[in-house]
Amino acid sequence: MKIFKFIVSKIFLRKAILGIGIILLLLMANYITFTAARSILSTFQGYQETKYVNQEGVYIANLDPDSHIDMGMIEENGTQTVYDYLNSSFKYAFYTDGFIVSVPNGDDMEISLGYMNEQYYRLNGFELSQGTDLYFDYQLDREIPVLIGKGLSKTYPVGATIEMEESVLGRPLTLKVQGVLKQNAYHSNYYALNSKTYYNFSILFPVNEEFIDRASMDIQFNGLMDIILLDTSEEEIASLSEVIKDNLGLSFNFFSQKENYDYFSEYYLHSLKIIFITTFLLLIVITCLSVWNALVSVRLMLKDFTINLLVGLSYSKLKRIFYGYFGMLSFVNVALISIFTAFNRYGCWLRKDAAFAAYGLFGLIGMDWLALLLVVVSDIAIGIIVVESMLWKIKKVPISLGVLQ
Amino acid sequence: MTKIIDLSVKEKTYKSKKAQISILNDFRLEVAAGEKIAIVGESGAGKSSLLNIMGLLDRNYSGEYTLFGLPTEQLNTSQLAQWRNQRIGFVLQESALINSLTIEENIKLPFLYANSEKKSFKVVEDFDTVISAIEIRPILKKKPLECSGGEKARAVFARGIIMKPQIILADEPTASLDVENRERIITLLFNMNKEFNTTIITVTHDLEIANRHDRVIHLERGK
Repeated sequence: MKIFKFIVSKIFLRKAILGIGIILLLLMANYITFTAARSILSTFQGYQETKYVNQEGVYIANLDPDSHIDMGMIEENGTQTVYDYLNSSFKYAFYTDGFIVSVPNGDDMEISLGYMNEQYYRLNGFELSQGTDLYFDYQLDREIPVLIGKGLSKTYPVGATIEMEESVLGRPLTLKVQGVLKQNAYHSNYYALNSKTYYNFSILFPVNEEFIDRASMDIQFNGLMDIILLDTSEEEIASLSEVIKDNLGLSFNFFSQKENYDYFSEYYLHSLKIIFITTFLLLIVITCLSVWNALVSVRLMLKDFTINLLVGLSYSKLKRIFYGYFGMLSFVNVALISIFTAFNRYGCWLRKDAAFAAYGLFGLIGMDWLALLLVVVSDIAIGIIVVESMLWKIKKVPISLGVLQ
Repeated sequence: MTKIIDLSVKEKTYKSKKAQISILNDFRLEVAAGEKIAIVGESGAGKSSLLNIMGLLDRNYSGEYTLFGLPTEQLNTSQLAQWRNQRIGFVLQESALINSLTIEENIKLPFLYANSEKKSFKVVEDFDTVISAIEIRPILKKKPLECSGGEKARAVFARGIIMKPQIILADEPTASLDVENRERIITLLFNMNKEFNTTIITVTHDLEIANRHDRVIHLERGK
């Protein structure tokens, strides 16, 4: 340890090119690997989550980009007619969220409200950490069963009631906590799979027909934007499109299972491939720069190494010192990235941002730890290449008295 | 007298970009403990290659080398490093110092690689004795670049003898020194021989210095 400390502090760190150059290159390699790995992992998680829409007979509604929305022209009767038609002719999964309310809680976070019908609930397969399954045959003037996120469970355990003024129905409601979602339960965006919102500070409402009948037009319209139609056909979809066009004056696209599949594989898999290949190429470039940096460093430090070898340092010890030094740099860089990421995640808590507040060990969630593991693996690979190149260079110019002349 | 070096080099070659150059050919050397030997010869005659082999830095040759009664082929790299630390001292030109270390750190460098028992004794006892004898106490905290050529040469000398080696390999130790400093270094070297029966092997171009040794070996075309 004393030899390691001596060589690092008195020789390596005295040469700025090795001290700073390799730290910066490694930090760059680590950051790129970490960001790419997290992006790929997050996209993969999103892909796994939304896999259920990749089924025969499933269509997802999507407002046609060329269709112009004029909310003033849309009447409540119009959306209600569309829902009446949906209820009579389709099996559909309804989900909408993003309604922010203030509900007292231990972390003083703003609360996000999400609304889903039974089909969506079954399709998504929400996992609970406490409580029992949500039921949908409740009455609005009595206690409404809800699911809550883990962050709210300290203030509102299973069975507790929450009194609130709810904007969608425009009346005071009494909610009863039926179940608590698993920690860091999330919902991915259908069209940006690596983007997700966390349910830790959410309340999920069960939506039934009575609820939709009495709800404001906002939620009806928002729900329609991403509605998922199940066990249906092209012909039925065509007639629904006409109903929407007639009543709301809007054109909707309904993407089939095949189109969804093509979309996922062509767009997202392609994006993932590009991220992967770009990262790989950047890592190769950075590794080459690191090797070059290391070889220049060896040239600059050859005299110092020679003197140390003359007075008792062995090649095997030198090799261990190189690996130890690289390991130390890698550890410092991984620690820096961990702190930076934890600080970013902690920022969501400071900003009271309910959609992104997540729990994790030392502030890092599972995906972060996995990405860090990949960073460590890439560091090991880069470390072996760089250190072995340095040793090769030292042995290629054999340590001898001639080096000192 | 005990024979401590028994070296027989059949061939030592050096591979350049264009050809294989033979440096040493059928060279044989036996050295007794306490002997003072000078090696002289033209540039490229193989003097430094010979020191590299004797100093256990180079094993890439055909031949046999028995040191302190043990064939060096039997030693692994860690043992070779240990012998370089404890039994062989290198006295080189004044440029052989690490510029980022102070003179004191340069001189104490061999202690870093010594085993702890020997280290504790040597750090306390030998360091003071050596720096007093060599008169370099005033420059201990200086960096090499702040010292004169003579001061640096004495620092290199101090590092070479600090572990009380049985053999000192001196490679042109006085090459760039003035007469006064040259004399000082040679006197210190010979004092080691007189006081501790240290074997001295000096590579030099200076025939006057060479002739003050017990034996002078003329190396010509690696023989």
